[in-house]
Amino acid sequence: MGLSSTAAGDGTQLCVFDLRRGQQEGQELDKILFFHPADCPILLQLSVIGLCEGIVTFTSIFSPEEDCDIIESEKHSHVFYQAETDIWMVLVVEKNKENELTWRCSALQGILKEAHSLFAMFHGPIRTLLDRQPSAELARGHLRTFLTDYLSDFNVGKKLQFPTYRDSLKERGTVQMLTVSREVALDVQSLTTVLGSCLGNVTCQSLVLFEDLLVSTTLPPDDTLNLYTYAVLRLTPRALYANASSWSYLRKGTSVSAGPTSSSSNGTTAGERPLLRENLSKGKDGFIAADFAATEARGAVPLTPILWFQQAEERMYLCIYQHKSLTILLLVPASSLINGEEGITHVKKQMLENASQKIVTVEQKLTRGWGGENAYHVSGYRYLLVDPERRVSRASPPGKVTTLAKDSLLALNMLRQEVDLEKSRYRRGDPCHDKDFEACIRTKNNAWVIAKISRGRELYMALEKGDETLLYASTAVEKFSNRYCEGAFSTD
Amino acid sequence: MLGNQIQGGLGTPGALSHAYVQHPPLRCDIPDIRGLFYDDANKFLIAPTADRILYWKTTLYTPSGPPNSDPVNEGPVLSVRYSLDHKAIGIQRSRHGIEFRNRETGETCNKKCRADSETILGFFWTDCPTCDVILVKTSGLDLLAYEPQSHAFHLVESKKFNVSWYLYTHESRLILLASGMQCTMFTGYQFSAGGIVKIPKFEMMSKSEANNKPVLAADDVHIVTVYGRIYCLQLDRVSMSLNLYRFYRDAVVQQCSLPTYSSRIAVSAVDNIIMVHQIDAKVVILYDVSLDSYAPVSAPLPLLVRGLPINSKQLSQTADSQSSAYGGTIYGEGWNFLIPDLICDAENGLLWKLHLDLEAIAASSSDAPSILEFLQRRKSDPSMVKTPCLAIVRTIILERRSVPTVAKAMDVVLDSYTRLMKMGGAFPGVRRTHEQNQQLGSQPNEGSHVVSQEPSPGTTVSPAVNPDQASGAVNISEQSNSGVEHSIDRGLLNINISSDSADNTSDAVDKRQQTVGEASRPLSSGTLTQHGQHAGTVAISPIEMFQSVFTLVEDEMMGDPAYLIAVIMEFLQSVSKAGLKAPHNLYVMMATLLARSNRYAEIALFVSNKILEPCKELAMQLMELGLQHPPTRKLGMDMLRERGLHHDYVTAMLQDGYYLEALRYARKYKVITVQPALFLEKAVAKNSAHNLAAVLSFFCEFTPSFKTTSDFGRYRHILSEMV
Repeated sequence: MGLSSTAAGDGTQLCVFDLRRGQQEGQELDKILFFHPADCPILLQLSVIGLCEGIVTFTSIFSPEEDCDIIESEKHSHVFYQAETDIWMVLVVEKNKENELTWRCSALQGILKEAHSLFAMFHGPIRTLLDRQPSAELARGHLRTFLTDYLSDFNVGKKLQFPTYRDSLKERGTVQMLTVSREVALDVQSLTTVLGSCLGNVTCQSLVLFEDLLVSTTLPPDDTLNLYTYAVLRLTPRALYANASSWSYLRKGTSVSAGPTSSSSNGTTAGERPLLRENLSKGKDGFIAADFAATEARGAVPLTPILWFQQAEERMYLCIYQHKSLTILLLVPASSLINGEEGITHVKKQMLENASQKIVTVEQKLTRGWGGENAYHVSGYRYLLVDPERRVSRASPPGKVTTLAKDSLLALNMLRQEVDLEKSRYRRGDPCHDKDFEACIRTKNNAWVIAKISRGRELYMALEKGDETLLYASTAVEKFSNRYCEGAFSTD
Repeated sequence: MLGNQIQGGLGTPGALSHAYVQHPPLRCDIPDIRGLFYDDANKFLIAPTADRILYWKTTLYTPSGPPNSDPVNEGPVLSVRYSLDHKAIGIQRSRHGIEFRNRETGETCNKKCRADSETILGFFWTDCPTCDVILVKTSGLDLLAYEPQSHAFHLVESKKFNVSWYLYTHESRLILLASGMQCTMFTGYQFSAGGIVKIPKFEMMSKSEANNKPVLAADDVHIVTVYGRIYCLQLDRVSMSLNLYRFYRDAVVQQCSLPTYSSRIAVSAVDNIIMVHQIDAKVVILYDVSLDSYAPVSAPLPLLVRGLPINSKQLSQTADSQSSAYGGTIYGEGWNFLIPDLICDAENGLLWKLHLDLEAIAASSSDAPSILEFLQRRKSDPSMVKTPCLAIVRTIILERRSVPTVAKAMDVVLDSYTRLMKMGGAFPGVRRTHEQNQQLGSQPNEGSHVVSQEPSPGTTVSPAVNPDQASGAVNISEQSNSGVEHSIDRGLLNINISSDSADNTSDAVDKRQQTVGEASRPLSSGTLTQHGQHAGTVAISPIEMFQSVFTLVEDEMMGDPAYLIAVIMEFLQSVSKAGLKAPHNLYVMMATLLARSNRYAEIALFVSNKILEPCKELAMQLMELGLQHPPTRKLGMDMLRERGLHHDYVTAMLQDGYYLEALRYARKYKVITVQPALFLEKAVAKNSAHNLAAVLSFFCEFTPSFKTTSDFGRYRHILSEMV
């Protein structure tokens, strides 16, 4: 693959292996389901996986309940994530020379988790694929294309660039919501009702996004999160624009990716490579679908992808409709659609007939009320709010976060790492009782970094040019809490 | 039952009907009377005898009521009209003279016309500011002013033109004067409290063959006042159609042509519905022109007599059997249709009042939103509006009609509610003033119309009655005419608009009207339908929708909560669009339905975007539902905190075992209502001496009297045993 050859020089490795396979000597290769870079010598691959397996087995002796999270060696860090029982994903990253903590373990785990969740949404659980085809060709094929496409997003120049301390005011694995007035919310809900009735007696599910923000969903939080993540990666107007212009040298980071020509010659379609940017485009009817130019040679009919929703426990077709800044993901239960693509065409027609007017109205109203990219900027604050239970977060706009000094961000990254540890420690102790937590740290350049957890919700902040008293910091939090969080973080 | 079947077998199809008259009628078959007259301005049914005038106030519609009477001079009577303040009576004695009689003094004065060149076609009293009596003559109009002191009339103005016949209704204040060979040329004036408006001359079109040019008769033209608008219906005998015109200040615009099934028709207006009686066919067709739609409300159906005496043994009967039961014939020869909604059976001396059978009309259509609109526009019988409306909404939900249909129906109900509330609050004052002015204008006026079989020359059976028959409230408070004049003057236009927007269900209609009459302002009748009066009873509030619709259908909809949720969502949208507040219990219901369908994520979404507005009821319900789903419980707790319900918040935290947090919160917000024992108990349950000691010392400080309570002693003992 094109990617692997270019990424060879970089010390990052990502592998997926199954502990249940290759148990006999000489068959170790069978464990490996995916390895990046692909051109890594087999022996090296085997040694990485051998090490990981050893560590996993060893640590489980001491901690049978909790998985091993990370192994730090002199030059590398190994980040572990057990995606499914006995199926592990390991990310190996090189440490920098100063040996500073520039990333966070759980942020990296978040990538593995996200990759796996998306994979499972499109292809089903890896274990199911393995059970279906014990030779693992199917699983390996899907993992190869999918993870390669997924990793292409992290390409910077010739290297894979994973989230660093600079992203410490971001939370992967959460949804960003658009705040709307009650009146507009009711309009949106009315639209949702119409969308739900596109199939007649069986209710369709739907997600409505405005720009990159979620407006409404009918799915449970985990499924919402996966679909939202996919939408923001590939489907929203901004993502689509990126797809279209991915050839451009102006957009760094996406220029090097798995060659589309090679993939289409491999006989993949949109359904099979949902993350392949070049595959997706908006049609004249407003629906986003695979770009058939690539697949035309095979005379293949474009397939509407069927997704697997674990929380909703259902397989559903995904139809994507876009009107200006509004993206609608309509999910049609596969079980109630007997005649496949024909049925989908019918559903789309129904949707256009019944919902067009409402879609236009909702889009207009949302556009009118939309405060732009910096809508959720709070002047003086650089913040991140996370509600892990609802999988929702809100943060200062990236443009504003970049104004923070490196030291402040590093300090915040460190603090978050500490909080992560504290959280997991506490979770082991009493899983169903929320523990409140608060830390305000004075760092270089008169900056404060603050973390506060209250009733399960988390708030992280960096305040620069602040006063030196602790009172200043806590007042700032109090003000922010009362003003923007309805008092959720106010000191009792 | 048997009787029914036998009756049904007689050829008429059941007792289906949309309009009826209520038995018993007013009996006016007194011997010695010389004909029956109707004074539409005062709504008096008048029966002259040799030396007296008997009259019934039809607004105080009591069948057994004996007539009032006035002594008068002997002589022929062609028509009788009381002045608007009831102080004088005008009696047309001949084609050349009218006698006016002061009711207090008995003084009389005669107004005669030149016998050689002109005849009097009729006369009426008016509340127009400049004159009190209008005399209609073949040579034109005489506008007379009345001086009560001297009991004398003087001519204010004379308008000269040839008149073949005329038509006037007090309700519309509009006079139409027919002229020309075929009597199809019309001149019109409106003599209202706001002044005199001249309607541009117009011609009523009628199809005619070359040799046969029919002459338009007064009987073929009807002025109808509905929704405060004035229409005119003209029967075209050649094409057998009914032309509908609408009057604007500067134009008369034909709206449409309605089919007829009879060579004789009569027109009534009941509760703003135009009833076209097809007399030969013995059926009635209803039209509701509020939205400028001219399709009949329903199929032509016969008129029914309701409430016939039990001894006839039939509750519902056919037209034929009914007629025999009451001793007359439905649509018989002697029937005179009095404006707006009375029928005088001159042969039998009976006065009937027309009613709409709203239930039957509602049952005859499946188009719920339009039926609801129709019902919500009805004012005459509020009790017959509300219950059916609620039933319709319930039914369409239970029948699982499409969500947009249900949404539209609920929109109609709520729009009507807001409109009626606005009307009720803002306009009744103006309206009442106006009403008083009409009825009790300080100038004595009088008018009467002949209802007898032989129509007096030029007089028509077109009286006017105030449309609020249901209330029958004739406002008797005195008010100086000049005092209210100004406000009325301005009010008229306003009222014009308000009455239109009140009766039309949407602004769109107003817009349409503007485009219809090229630049024409609608001509208002000056008489206003009463909106505010019944507003409270017709209108259905969101709370009533909750109580009488949602709570009642909830159980039956348990199998499909998703549908009910969608419907409630649409309802919330309607409520919000109408600028109203939804009842809190509806939010509770919504949250419960969502939780029952395991749609907790949506509860969170709706709470966060305030679709479910924060309130204590909802917060408590969320806490309850949250027993199965902790994040939802948190939503409820957050809502308690945000609403500042400190006591409940502290209690809830305690229940969940967060007693230290609860203590901190109690200290901050000085919550002293939660029992210390509850906190202490939690600390004991935790088996932590450390925490128990902390809680104890907290209460010692926080509540000074705590040390004296038994709790203090008990828990200190427990603590000492722990340590």
